[in-house]
Amino acid sequence: MTSLLDVQNLSVRFEVKRQSLFGKKSYLYAVDDISFQIERGKTLAIVGESGSGKTTAALACARLLDAHQGKITLDGENILAKQGEALRQIRSKVQFIFQDPYSSLNPRMRAEAIVAEPLNSLSHQTSKQKREVVDQLFDAVGLRPEQKRLFPHQFSGGQRQRIGIARALATKPELIICDEPVSALDVAVQAQILNLLRKLQREFNLTYLFISHDLGVVQHMSDNIAVMYMGKVVEYADRQSLFQTPSHPYTNALLSAVPGIDPGQRRQRVLLPGDPPDPVNLPAGCRFASRCPIAVDQCFTDQPELKARQSGDHLIACHLQ
Amino acid sequence: MSALLEVNHLSIELTTRDGVAPVIDDLSFDLNAGETLSFVGESGCGKSMTALALMGLLPENISRVSAGSITFAGETLNDASEDRLRQIRGNDISMIFQEPMTSLNPVFTIGEQIAEVLRTHQKLSRRAAWKQSVELLNAVRIPQPESRAADYPFQMSGGQRQRAMIAMALACEPKLLIADEPTTALDVTVQAQIFDLLKDLRRQTGTAIILITHDMGAVAEMAERMIVMYAGRKAEYGSVQQIIEKPRHPYTQGLIACVPHITADLSNERQDLLEVPGIVPSLKDFGKDQCLFASRCEHRSSRCTQQRPEEHQFSSDHSAECWHAVEYQE
Amino acid sequence: MKATNTDSHDQHNTNAIKARSPLAEAAGMFFNNYAAVVALLILILVFLMAVFGPILYQTDPFEMVWAPFSPPGEEGFLFGTDYLGRDLLAMIINGSRVSLLIGLSAALVSIVIGVTVGALAGFYRGFVEEVLMRITEFFQVLPTLLFSMVLVALFGASLPMITFAIGIVSWTAVARITRSEFLRIREQEYVMASRASGVSNTRLMFAVILPNALPPIIVQSALMVGSAILFEAGLSFLGLTDPNIVSWGQIIGSNRQYILDAGYTVTIPGAAIFITVLAISLVGDGLNDALNPKLRQR
Repeated sequence: MTSLLDVQNLSVRFEVKRQSLFGKKSYLYAVDDISFQIERGKTLAIVGESGSGKTTAALACARLLDAHQGKITLDGENILAKQGEALRQIRSKVQFIFQDPYSSLNPRMRAEAIVAEPLNSLSHQTSKQKREVVDQLFDAVGLRPEQKRLFPHQFSGGQRQRIGIARALATKPELIICDEPVSALDVAVQAQILNLLRKLQREFNLTYLFISHDLGVVQHMSDNIAVMYMGKVVEYADRQSLFQTPSHPYTNALLSAVPGIDPGQRRQRVLLPGDPPDPVNLPAGCRFASRCPIAVDQCFTDQPELKARQSGDHLIACHLQ
Repeated sequence: MSALLEVNHLSIELTTRDGVAPVIDDLSFDLNAGETLSFVGESGCGKSMTALALMGLLPENISRVSAGSITFAGETLNDASEDRLRQIRGNDISMIFQEPMTSLNPVFTIGEQIAEVLRTHQKLSRRAAWKQSVELLNAVRIPQPESRAADYPFQMSGGQRQRAMIAMALACEPKLLIADEPTTALDVTVQAQIFDLLKDLRRQTGTAIILITHDMGAVAEMAERMIVMYAGRKAEYGSVQQIIEKPRHPYTQGLIACVPHITADLSNERQDLLEVPGIVPSLKDFGKDQCLFASRCEHRSSRCTQQRPEEHQFSSDHSAECWHAVEYQE
Repeated sequence: MKATNTDSHDQHNTNAIKARSPLAEAAGMFFNNYAAVVALLILILVFLMAVFGPILYQTDPFEMVWAPFSPPGEEGFLFGTDYLGRDLLAMIINGSRVSLLIGLSAALVSIVIGVTVGALAGFYRGFVEEVLMRITEFFQVLPTLLFSMVLVALFGASLPMITFAIGIVSWTAVARITRSEFLRIREQEYVMASRASGVSNTRLMFAVILPNALPPIIVQSALMVGSAILFEAGLSFLGLTDPNIVSWGQIIGSNRQYILDAGYTVTIPGAAIFITVLAISLVGDGLNDALNPKLRQR
């Protein structure tokens, strides 16, 4: 079975302000040579802390940021090669759900216009057909028809995120990229949105690239998980083997740091000392070595490769596993 | 022995365009030295208002304490003079905020800002204050505190800024530390560091902590007792252990059950998360003589929409404001 | 199933709110500001005077109707007569047409130039921005009055030329405001959302970003109408005006030698300018408060 989305050796870099006029140009590699695949109808979660590059990777997959290197294939088409009109057509296949429902909706547009925006620019339907689609979308995400005429500030955070989801569904995309879709919401509302996303996935056979820092949410939503640290994927596995046998020391630390409400099931805390390295001057070896509780000399000199250590599909980038 | 902090029947009114709303409605609790009490709830439930009231920092003109009292170390705070409150703030009661970037002054170094607190309240000399602030940075585990004290806030990482905020809050060894979502803006691994730090400091100094959060995990990690707030009212109160084991208020149950957890079922037959449907009531519904959670509650009866629930005592250390808390539990 | 259930409370909550647009809300804010409302009423009166005044009061402003320097209120002339015995009231009424016309059209010229330059600079960044902003700075450092005097002196004192001369020296502020708003708004997530929806660059600029950038531009434009009126008054005071047209500044200019003997010939048009420009400023101020989202509760 071939994957819907296939990302190979993707790198995204940003130019950093030069220190002096004659200084060398330096780059921040927010995403550094990562690869992953998503099968149709499945969810891949990218999990990581701030600065891990997870959002950058997501934006690059949606062509909202330019990739420096690599290849992104969606349904057999190389989307990095698309320009102009062809690129706009790709947009109807890849849609994005944003993190902050307060800033991702245009405050001057009515809810119905926001949802119809992708249709207006990407589809050739008549306006009557478009109106029907908008009605169906409002129904699908649990908003009522009379709310169509309201403006974003008249909705609560959860309802706004529903509008954002309806917008993402409008062009019947193959891939939906969810960038921290619930982290700006109150906990009780988070559950509503997560359930909605899963319901829509079942109904429309959607494929999700799900970005989150919240391991609980990731556990609930994903089929496969890529753990990122400082622009690199450090562990890549299916949900069960990642949560049952987390193998990279960073994944372990991440899992153990989540405060649990159940005292019986609390893990042995792996406390990470210090802070992440400077992303502009990355160390030569493993990027996690400076905080790693089990690092040896090799970790500071050689960069570990992401490869299978135990069973076939569980990939880890660590010298010691 | 009386408690360090006693709050009795506190009510706070907020004036909005739509009228006057009781954002805190008849809230009572107490707190002993060395204890941690946690306030839990969604945004707009009044937990941050409570913190501001304790600090005497309620936004003037639009809000006021309309009833009740706040007694701190035997002194009534709600009729204290502004001068007296200024002495208490930062000295006996201090606060850490959610976003350390915006609550630190960007044009002064970290060391200067901590020293400033010490010089104001403890009347230390410039040199002594600086020395003390380096020690404080050391105590909150900032590496190379001598040189980092000369850093400006933007030169530090989020976790370091939050630690610097804590150092500043602890500068005068306060009796009470109010932490308003102290780790919400931070990564989980950094959050774990901050929690450990707070626990250590509490052990060493006997400071009482009020932890305001929306995260049940953080509560379980840090606090002994908790108050679940809903729409300005206390929904449930009790020891953290009892509440997590057996939540009595349907809202508390929802809050606990709706969060997906890493230790949950790993099989592919994933259940939908339990939801608390709907959204929090708007301010104009606050203060009505009914259960404000009723519209989102699956157990509601006609009584819930007609009368405000009374506090039901389950044990000396566990109570809930719900008409049905007893019956449907069993 | 649960997920799609918005419960009764929720419904109650949003049903109560009508679909008030941001514009309607701003209007509500504006009409709570008494100074601004009074100023707006004054402006409406001035505007009505400009439109209907010459029809209702048909005295020719260039005709000698009575002895010169006849004080206001005497001999049936409300504002008296000037040094040539012309009816000052007729001159003020007819002058309001020119003042408002030049004020509005000069502001329009500078808005069109300023918004275009600012939008392009703020949207495309990089090289385009560098070039456009250097040009803006060039116009900013020109001595404005001198430059427009040169333009009018060279190309003749016709109304379109005066309008253009005022517009060309005053668009830089609009360009700067537009650019900074564009820089801010283009980073907002909803702009990225529109890009993800396949919206073209032109539409992004003018249908997505510009409407959100409008409030400060509107305020600036209102103030610019005021300053354009002042500018025109200054030019015509110096005689750089079409001699066949009455304007408020020109009345002051032509009567300036008699300021000691017949002060009213200068103070009355002066007051007209003062009241109009002040009213515009107050309206601009009111708009600023009404359109500034920071002052509004969410």
